[in-house]
Amino acid sequence: MIELVRDTYRYRELIWALALKDLKIRYKRSVLGFMWALLNPALLMLVLTMVFSTIMRFPIPHYAIFLLSVLLPWTFFSQSLSYAVESIVTNGDLIKKVKVAKLVFPVAALLSNMINLLLSLIPLALLILIMRHPFYWTWLYLPVPLLALAIFTLGATFFFAAANVYYRDVAHILQVVLSAWFYFTPIIFPLDMLPAQYQWLFKLNPIIYVINGFRLSVYYGMLPRAQSIIASFVCAFISLFLGYRLFRKYQNSFVFYV
Amino acid sequence: MPTDSTMIRVENVTQRFRVIHDRPDSVRALFSKFFRHKTTYHDFDAVKNISLEIPKGQTLGLIGRNGSGKSTLLKIIAGVYQPTSGKVSVKGTLAPLIELGAGFHHELTGRENILLNGLLMGYSKREMLEREERIIEFAEIGDFIDAPVKQYSSGMYMRLAFAVATEIDPQILLIDEILAVGDSQFQQKCFERIENFHCSGKTILLVSHAMGQIRQHCDRAVYLERGSIIADGSADEVVDAYQSTWSAEELESARTHAVRP
Repeated sequence: MIELVRDTYRYRELIWALALKDLKIRYKRSVLGFMWALLNPALLMLVLTMVFSTIMRFPIPHYAIFLLSVLLPWTFFSQSLSYAVESIVTNGDLIKKVKVAKLVFPVAALLSNMINLLLSLIPLALLILIMRHPFYWTWLYLPVPLLALAIFTLGATFFFAAANVYYRDVAHILQVVLSAWFYFTPIIFPLDMLPAQYQWLFKLNPIIYVINGFRLSVYYGMLPRAQSIIASFVCAFISLFLGYRLFRKYQNSFVFYV
Repeated sequence: MPTDSTMIRVENVTQRFRVIHDRPDSVRALFSKFFRHKTTYHDFDAVKNISLEIPKGQTLGLIGRNGSGKSTLLKIIAGVYQPTSGKVSVKGTLAPLIELGAGFHHELTGRENILLNGLLMGYSKREMLEREERIIEFAEIGDFIDAPVKQYSSGMYMRLAFAVATEIDPQILLIDEILAVGDSQFQQKCFERIENFHCSGKTILLVSHAMGQIRQHCDRAVYLERGSIIADGSADEVVDAYQSTWSAEELESARTHAVRP
């Protein structure tokens, strides 16, 4: 674990350059370029707001904000995984020719998606102003769930990136897992809308504690309880510990399988 | 005996590759393997128990036919492969020219690639920015430096990659057969630079099928065959031994069919 922190620090310039490369390539050859990082969530919000304020009415005020407060972090999670799962395999040519710390690829994939997430908070803030939803001081608490989310996601990216080197099915399975996971997480609905006897099942989902922090602070203007914060970090560190352990164990043989 | 001037020390290194016949690369295949039969494989030693010491300032040529383990040995020294057994120690900074432009990304500009490539090789951003101008100058890229490298001619691409790898001023340079490509003027320029490296006391390891290059530039040559060292000595002696083993035609076909994996 110390090694992970040390190597991330040592290769920080490389990780940063790789993350910027990801973003540059993602928005290359588009007229609006980097603006898409802002426009994409803004347009998504427009669609969601229209749908949920006219067609599907939920008994939840400002449903778009309710939804987006956790949909944006979820998008970060699923996008990071989708990018990172292939990160070792797509950089295979490089790994075969240059000695390079393998961890830089998943970490860079995470970083580029984190930049996207942070940018998408700008249109969210605008939407809150437009819809006259209160702007709570609890926004200041956001760095805490962001950190827990980043750690949790990093662990998962290590796991899937390493597994995909050996079995390319992993990238396909991941997509199915992510869409099932999406409905298994209280994103489009509040947890207490579920029948009480099933709630415990949802509480086994390790990502709900961190997701909860986002919704509470952005939508409700509250802070999560101490148990919930602790649970989010415990889940995050378990994910990181397991994911990085697997990655570290196999990283020296990646070169033979990519 | 090991001395302080040894830059690269390879001790009893073996690199074993497991050649798996019908490796299960999907879960379905994994299951069927699990239930029905075991995967068959054979182990293949690309490099067999090799020991080698390269002192500072030496230019060493690695020769041998295709598949003799030259490139594998180079990759072990470069740190790309962790050897199955044995030990490799390398003193000083090392620039691997295993494939020119391995770290280049086609959508990025030349300038962006200089930085990214340098960072990949373990140099800092500051070090790369200091060298940027000299790299651009040596590569003779001109205004193309701010265009994506996918628009480069293959010559420009190679010049830029060679310039990046050598301008960072490594103490050890590993070159794998890359100089067979490119026009003669570029080759000339590269060899001038390699000569300069040699004169300033740097250590060079060169893999080549061009015996003329080995004779001209190397102090010492090592002849590999099926992963083992057959001969080790002065470049002329070893090249003579190699050439007497293989007829000129075979050498020519080895040279023209040199394909890296």
